[in-house]
Amino acid sequence: GLRRCLLSMDIHHIEESFQEIKKTIQAKDTFQNVTILSTLETLKSIKPLDVCCVTKNLLAFYVDKVFKDHQELNPKILRKISSIANSFLYMQKALQQCQEQKQCHCREEATNATRIIHDNYSQLEVQSAAIKSLGELDVFLAWIDKNHQGTSA
Amino acid sequence: DGVAVLPPPYNLSVQSTNMKHLLTWSPVSVPGEIIHYFVEYQGEYESLYMSHVWIPSSWCSPAKGPECDITDDITATVPYNLRVRATQGSETSAWSTLKHPFNRNSTILTPPVMEITKDGFHLVIKLEDLGPQFEFLVAYWRREPGAKEHVKVVRSRGIPVHLETMQPGAAYCVKVRTFVKAIGRHSPFSQAECVKVQGETLPL
Repeated sequence: GLRRCLLSMDIHHIEESFQEIKKTIQAKDTFQNVTILSTLETLKSIKPLDVCCVTKNLLAFYVDKVFKDHQELNPKILRKISSIANSFLYMQKALQQCQEQKQCHCREEATNATRIIHDNYSQLEVQSAAIKSLGELDVFLAWIDKNHQGTSA
Repeated sequence: DGVAVLPPPYNLSVQSTNMKHLLTWSPVSVPGEIIHYFVEYQGEYESLYMSHVWIPSSWCSPAKGPECDITDDITATVPYNLRVRATQGSETSAWSTLKHPFNRNSTILTPPVMEITKDGFHLVIKLEDLGPQFEFLVAYWRREPGAKEHVKVVRSRGIPVHLETMQPGAAYCVKVRTFVKAIGRHSPFSQAECVKVQGETLPL
């Protein structure tokens, strides 16, 4: 499961970085009644076997799409987003090593869960979708933390 | 047209010990003028996905002297590019970039400082506060042939921790090392220190 893959992750530090910008980011979200990650009651229903794959897919979602689509001018916010983005990059590498040891297979449920997120994302204009996804980072971090229990810092 | 161009800083390097990272460079000097420096960084994410993005350092935009504490900027275990330029009034030098990206997993981890005390029959250790990223692995044993080594992981910082209730007349020894989870590395062990109940700290 995920615990072996992300053993050395400092999730707590990433949560701290996000908490410092959460209010500012969420205030920019103009579509309050729409969600991208949070609709995902399915995140809670992800089975342990699929946790690694969903994590890998959601990390890729943020690294390849969200952080790139969001243009940030405020240096304070930019520093925190950079800290999270680089931490996610490091987590991707850790998961990659896991995958080489074949502990991160992707079943249909996991792939479907990820596709829902991408579909939600593409319903919105890019900047709006990026800011909303950034604002929902705590949903993803809480889910990682829950599946990583007992070893977070 | 002979306009004096401000030379860039040079000899950039990073000294990193116990997860404190200091960027230094050779200063630019213009007689009678005050020079300031601006430091910027980009993590591996920026260099891979948005290479035009450079982020102003938290504490050195500007800096007065030829050094910058970049600890608060290096917050992931990935390579970071760093650059510095000099300014004097409205004049600005070219950027000077660190030759090799810096990764905090190269930090030097030193054996931690510890203070061993006795509180009656209680063996107590106090460890220096190295920051939230550090855990301490404390090994202690009763100094006698075949004694078993006990290990305790200590996360509290700068406050006394009880290790053992000692037997009268027995000597006990302690050594400690740090562990940094974010980079997955240990420091070397400290020198062992021994105490004897109703005795002074004994050199090894």
